[in-house]
Amino acid sequence: MENLISINCVQLLITALFYTCISCSSVEQKIYVELNKTAPCVRLLNATHQIGCQSSISGDTGVVHVLESESDLDWILSAGPHPPYMVIMETAFFNRSVMLSMKNSSRVAGVAVIISKAGLAEHFSPHTTCPNQNTGVYSAGSEFANCNGTVWNPLGNGLSYEDFTFPVFALKDENQTQVIRKCYEDHNLRVNGSAPQYPLCAMQLFSHMHAVTDTVTCMRRTDLQNKFSINPEILCDPLSDYNVWTSIRPLNNSARGHAENESVVIAAVRLDGRSFFWEEAPAAEGTVSAIVTLLAAIHALYPVIQEAPPLRNIFFTFFQGEAFDYIGSSRMVFDMERNQFVMDLDNVHSMLEIGQVGLRGGRDVWIHSDPVSRRNSSMEKQVSEMIKDVNSSAAGLNINLQEPSVSQPLPPSSFQRFLRVRPIPGLVLTDHEKAFNNRYYESMYDDAENLNVSYPPNLTPDEQLVYPTDAAKSLAEVATLVARSLYTQAGGEQNNLSNITADATMVSQLLYGFLVQKNNSWFRSLLPPEITKKGGSSILSSGPPQFYIGLGPRLQSPVHSVTLFVQYILANLTGNVTNLTESQCQNPKELSGENKDLYSYFWVSGPSSGNSSADPLCVRASVRLSKAVSPAFELLQYGSSDYSTWTESRWKSIRARIFLVASRELEMLTLGVGVAVLLLSLLVTYFISSKAELLFSSARETPTTTY
Amino acid sequence: MTLAVFFGCAFIAFGPAFALFVFTVAKDPLRVIILIAGAFFWLLSLLLSSLVWFIAVKASNSQDPSLPRGLLIFGVFFSVLLQEVFRFAYYRLLRKATEGLAAISDDASSAISVRQMAYVAGLGFGVMRGAFSMINILSDSLGPGTVGIFGDSQYYFITAALMTLALTLLHTFWGVLFFEGCEKSSWWVIAVVVSLHLLVAGLSLLNPLYEGSLPPVYCITLLMGIWAFFSSGGSLQNLSALCTRRKVEAESS
Amino acid sequence: MNLERIPNEEKLSLCRRYYLGGFAFLPFLWLVNILWFFKEAFLKPAYTEQPQIKSYVKKSALGLLLWVAVLTTWITVFQHFRAQWGEVGDYLSFTIPLGTA
Repeated sequence: MENLISINCVQLLITALFYTCISCSSVEQKIYVELNKTAPCVRLLNATHQIGCQSSISGDTGVVHVLESESDLDWILSAGPHPPYMVIMETAFFNRSVMLSMKNSSRVAGVAVIISKAGLAEHFSPHTTCPNQNTGVYSAGSEFANCNGTVWNPLGNGLSYEDFTFPVFALKDENQTQVIRKCYEDHNLRVNGSAPQYPLCAMQLFSHMHAVTDTVTCMRRTDLQNKFSINPEILCDPLSDYNVWTSIRPLNNSARGHAENESVVIAAVRLDGRSFFWEEAPAAEGTVSAIVTLLAAIHALYPVIQEAPPLRNIFFTFFQGEAFDYIGSSRMVFDMERNQFVMDLDNVHSMLEIGQVGLRGGRDVWIHSDPVSRRNSSMEKQVSEMIKDVNSSAAGLNINLQEPSVSQPLPPSSFQRFLRVRPIPGLVLTDHEKAFNNRYYESMYDDAENLNVSYPPNLTPDEQLVYPTDAAKSLAEVATLVARSLYTQAGGEQNNLSNITADATMVSQLLYGFLVQKNNSWFRSLLPPEITKKGGSSILSSGPPQFYIGLGPRLQSPVHSVTLFVQYILANLTGNVTNLTESQCQNPKELSGENKDLYSYFWVSGPSSGNSSADPLCVRASVRLSKAVSPAFELLQYGSSDYSTWTESRWKSIRARIFLVASRELEMLTLGVGVAVLLLSLLVTYFISSKAELLFSSARETPTTTY
Repeated sequence: MTLAVFFGCAFIAFGPAFALFVFTVAKDPLRVIILIAGAFFWLLSLLLSSLVWFIAVKASNSQDPSLPRGLLIFGVFFSVLLQEVFRFAYYRLLRKATEGLAAISDDASSAISVRQMAYVAGLGFGVMRGAFSMINILSDSLGPGTVGIFGDSQYYFITAALMTLALTLLHTFWGVLFFEGCEKSSWWVIAVVVSLHLLVAGLSLLNPLYEGSLPPVYCITLLMGIWAFFSSGGSLQNLSALCTRRKVEAESS
Repeated sequence: MNLERIPNEEKLSLCRRYYLGGFAFLPFLWLVNILWFFKEAFLKPAYTEQPQIKSYVKKSALGLLLWVAVLTTWITVFQHFRAQWGEVGDYLSFTIPLGTA
């Protein structure tokens, strides 16, 4: 008992001491304002290059200067007396010429970009003009190599593929931007063109990247460290996640290689996008338009398929990591070639891919095909047949189908990865003939607004969820086209076509979930309870999801949030509700009548009606995930030129803060006073202690004190 | 380049204490022991007052906005009283230990007087007090930032260092006077010391208005220094004797 | 060990042992030898064993100098060219600083 009390006392004492220490960190709070709502630009590496940004290991500090005009640029790059500068800029200045002039200057410590819609340029794409130019079907040597003939993204300025030696951050929060502005205006504003006086407002950005040079180097170093170091440190990780696929007739997931008696029409879209900043990729027109179209088409197809199944199987696949040299599709093709997938390339009858189909008011849909494989007469026959089918499917739809000239190559698409291996008849549907209509391709501005998804004011979230925007209506048309084309392509009866119509409300819900608010009632009803319960997971945070693929091992869930959403939406669209309990649902192996090889089982929250909480239920669907890791990392060919080699560097801390810096005069004054005090006190003490006998001699005590 | 501020502040805050230690304490192991033990006693008092503070904060979880300030004032004054209690306890301990201390020292002649003990113990208190109030500020002075983004004075670091310097010296002087008071049982001396300590602590509540607290604290330090000088056997005669002797020396050389 | 208290023969054998030990790639033994026996070799009044101690100390100094020269050259070359050597540079490194080529 006494022991217990003493232990408690010790604990109390320790907590008390600890408390003293916590409360004394208040000086730091007086000095620094942490900016926590930022997005960094991080370093990515491929077989030959490094791109992105990095700070020094202890962060880069510079005097804040807001770039508002050309004269500010001159002040930063040559005239200003307080280099290095931390440049705060509105998005209007965030372009190639400004950024490159900063890259070439040693007077810039870093850049912080204020992300706001105000003053947004007419177009902004930090991507290259020819996306994925070296890993498509038209690689070096081909007549169409390097977008020869058709430049797909002429607006691309290539900023995302530059290597910056200073940190670049995005400031996402309006309030924090105001704090920085105020600090700048209070301290750093030039008065009549003369330099401002100390103390000056400064900013420090931390984004030190561990990996350098290229993937080959960083993977080699990682492997070396794993072999020899006591404390191995991973320097970079391959970009990786999962593809999602499903088929109208379940494929045996435990089988590998050629599937007997299967002829499959593949319907494909890509799942990811990117932007200059890390995990800031809304990819609305670039990716979401296609995802939503295919999901709505699947939704439209399913009732008809139950009634009148077509001759061939339809295989729906959502490829992850396509923005980075086709990670997902190259892996699936690689697995098919090696007989490591549920089917092989002989099973593929044809392929239909949906590219950017934002439409945005227009009604032209372009049917792209590969001019190289069409030179073969039998292939030409099949492709023409497909085009004819698509054209016939468009009857009665408010869509204007067109074909580009026969000699025009395919736009960047997953289909190219299949064509690389063997000629397969296939088409790519997009809303552009040559250059992308998307003016903000692979940028943080490719958002709901860019896709014209906007709602009338005063709508509650639940009303917005089902509100049929114009974008939703036109995407529903495309989805109908896709669904009918697929049905025809799979050998379905022509007279069923009129029963296939995509639901505009479904499209609205999908658009709202992927572009505006992922934490909505519909998504919540589709997802597993452990994600939807309050405080359960950060996957359902507020706002739209982001589409940058990221790394394999994740904190919140084993897969990317978008992959997870698509997987569960597919399961709910195509699956059947079973009456299994939670434990049975999560482990249906032992149950008779259930087949784990053909189906996956999903435990989902279920729709909640009114105030009552939802009843979770078990959904059985043939929805599967397949790895989207580049084959280069399977084959350990880090310098591969055939496969994606993109890796993301690791880092320890990413943060930003602002504070004041003192003038050198004040610092030197402090040091001077300090040295003076030290010397003086040494001198005086020495003098007094040596004369102590004399000074204190009249003391009554015999031995002298020193004072 | 905020290293300059770091060293500047460190020199200001601990320069005099360092000089005193080197020239008056370091040579005698007994004094070193007394210094360390004094520092330890001050730490104990702080530990106890932090415990009380901890309990008080936990106990009063009301939403009253004026409460934190009131709690702070209570905490400061309680802590000051506790420090003085521990000073007295240390005096009693040293008094009891005098014979023992005399026994362990090598030869009887170097036995330490109560006045010397008082000075060294006071210095121990002051050094620890200074260290505790200054270490965190010093670590933040390394930068890269300086105080002021919220409109605080940019002279924060140097004023904090000057304050620490004054308080280190004050504790030394108070040590001398307090022990003198205890020796002579003149309770008014002790009362003056305690009330001045309370006053200085109260002045620190005026922060961040350093203009308000620094000059009075330095005045008190100066007065305490003079008082301590006289109470430990110094006199004007001695001072003038020193001066004249120096003059004589200067003339003769 | 206090050199003052041991006989001269033992000093010699000690110095000799340190000198020979240095050949086992232990230049620090030579450094110790020099520091320890410098006084004995050069400053003390002459005695029978002193010339031998002197020669051992001199040879130790020579060996140490050689080591210092070789190591300095190698370290300079390595630090300067590690990044350029690429793969070889990585294999020669025990720890590689993060975020530098």
